Amino acid sequence: MSEQENTEAREMPDGWFYQPANIRLLVFGLVVACVCAVSAQFLYTDDHPHFEVEQWHGFQAVFGFLAFVVVVMLGKALRMFVARPEDYYDS
Amino acid sequence: MIHNLPPGLLMIFGGLLIPLFYRRAQSALPLILSASSLVLFLLTPSGEYGEINLFGQSLMMVRIDSLSRIFGIIFHIAAMVSSIYALHLRDTKQHVAAMIYAGGAIGACCAGDLITLFLFWELTALSSVILVWASNTESSYRSGMRYLIIQVGSGVLLLSGAIMRYNETGSIQFDLLLQPSGAMSWGTLLIFLAFGIKCAFPLLHNWLQDAYPEATVTGTVFLSAFTTKLAIYALARGFAGAESLIWIGCAMTLFPIVFAVIENDLRRVLAYSLNNQLGFMVVGIGIGTELAINGTAAHAFCHILYKALLFMSMGAVLHRVGTVKATELGGLYKSMPWTTLFCVIGAGSISGFPLLSGFVSKSMILTAAAEEHQFWVWIVLLIASAGVMEHSGIKIPFFAFFAHDSGQRPKEAPWNMLVAMGIAATFCVGLGVGYPWLYKLLPGEAHYEPYTWSHVVTQMQLLLFAALAFVVLMYSGFYPAELRKINLDTDWLYRRLLPNILGRLGLTIYAMDSGVRQGVMALVRAVIRSLGLRFGEHGVLGGTWSTGVMAVWATILLCLCLLINYL
Repeated sequence: MSEQENTEAREMPDGWFYQPANIRLLVFGLVVACVCAVSAQFLYTDDHPHFEVEQWHGFQAVFGFLAFVVVVMLGKALRMFVARPEDYYDS
Repeated sequence: MIHNLPPGLLMIFGGLLIPLFYRRAQSALPLILSASSLVLFLLTPSGEYGEINLFGQSLMMVRIDSLSRIFGIIFHIAAMVSSIYALHLRDTKQHVAAMIYAGGAIGACCAGDLITLFLFWELTALSSVILVWASNTESSYRSGMRYLIIQVGSGVLLLSGAIMRYNETGSIQFDLLLQPSGAMSWGTLLIFLAFGIKCAFPLLHNWLQDAYPEATVTGTVFLSAFTTKLAIYALARGFAGAESLIWIGCAMTLFPIVFAVIENDLRRVLAYSLNNQLGFMVVGIGIGTELAINGTAAHAFCHILYKALLFMSMGAVLHRVGTVKATELGGLYKSMPWTTLFCVIGAGSISGFPLLSGFVSKSMILTAAAEEHQFWVWIVLLIASAGVMEHSGIKIPFFAFFAHDSGQRPKEAPWNMLVAMGIAATFCVGLGVGYPWLYKLLPGEAHYEPYTWSHVVTQMQLLLFAALAFVVLMYSGFYPAELRKINLDTDWLYRRLLPNILGRLGLTIYAMDSGVRQGVMALVRAVIRSLGLRFGEHGVLGGTWSTGVMAVWATILLCLCLLINYL
């Protein structure tokens, strides 16, 4: 019985986080939050920047995005060299 | 006087008595022991106690100052939270080992000299390996062996370094070990290496990712709190301001995040994440200013709690589902909502979201780097912060509780696990909001204000755009799929390369040995055959000679003797 339930769950995931409309809503919310975070930089001036780049508008936004992409891509590249079957050390 | 006894001793001896109690009562004792030990520790005023003379040397077994105080307090809290998490456990040896381990770590961070430090250092190694072996699998046994060899090796280096330092300086006091010029003597270098092994410096790190995911559900939670943070304490005490630590720390923050992206075992992802977080602390120690050391101590305090929280949530998944491989999980939020919530709080905290603990402590280290105008260090720490968002902020909760629905519908975690996770999560929020309380525990005066407009906004930019990058990569299909694979790391050197080299060396020696043996045997056989030909039954010298021939030879020999005599 429980196996049957599991199979059904795999075929058609239910739950709030699996509804396409809700996923779109979450992504939309994230985009809005990103826009707000960049816009909020207009509301103040950083009086004590340590580096010049801190004064560039949206520096950390661009940096965060690029750093994330680079880290993930480096991971993908690394996998080509270091990935092995799970029983590698057993054999 | 009780002050003369090292803090943590109550937990060590109390732990040894656990087997004498009824099995049902045993699981409650670690919590009682940790709480009692914390009360004793808080009642002990700062100062130096327990001076004893050993082989003409004066040992200061207890030294409590602001640095050992904050580590002592967080070690006690970690022991209590972990003990609650393990309340359901009916395994005497794990309870005993966990108490000795935690007590040993507390004793070590209050050690006034290098010999006392060494004793507790080795005690943590010997007791903690039980938590790895308690998984009772072949792989955990092997992994535990490797862990033990490396940890004990670290202790041996520490002792050797301490002896060499004694020869060099005549002192075994455990204070700042660096010379004012920043140079290190050979003895100091050995101690640095010993600390570096336990702190999982790059290339010395892989025992951590090897052993922690092999430990038991509750054992990993204990392990995550003590060993590496003890090393952080030791580095902060002995090597604050060592410039090399800045670059070692930078490397530590970077390389584990790349490995964490492709790791399938989520507890191993957390082990890489732990390594990355240690990097932040090592950078702070290397910078060595008051803000940096405060940041390191604060980060260690917060980190122990959110990392324990993350390990607890993955432990709960392992306990209920039987695996923490990302390929086998997904959709668990439906049946484990509380565990999901706590995991998300831990993930938010480690990523440094405002109002959570990591935001306060991590920014202290970043600001310390910025104030010293260390631009590239600051840039590296920013990259590492985005990386933390990837592996701990998103990957852990997303692949365990959301992502594709695995169809698994396990029960919610046991009540004691939820309580422990709830306490750790409360600390994450409490320290993020009530950071002045944390400041009171820091070793130096703390004036740092984390909640400025500029800081909150730029940090939110970094985190939100990192999250946006994740969404873009997922939609575009560039995000690497989880695979049922393992990834080679430096452990390959001693798990595969070294055995291969030794194996081949053994085969070569065996071949040479058998070659030499065969050659010698052939020679011996040839000699025997040759002797047989001459001295055998039918040999020239072995056969039966007639009396006449004998008389002739005897005469010849006598003549020879006479000749020699007259010459």
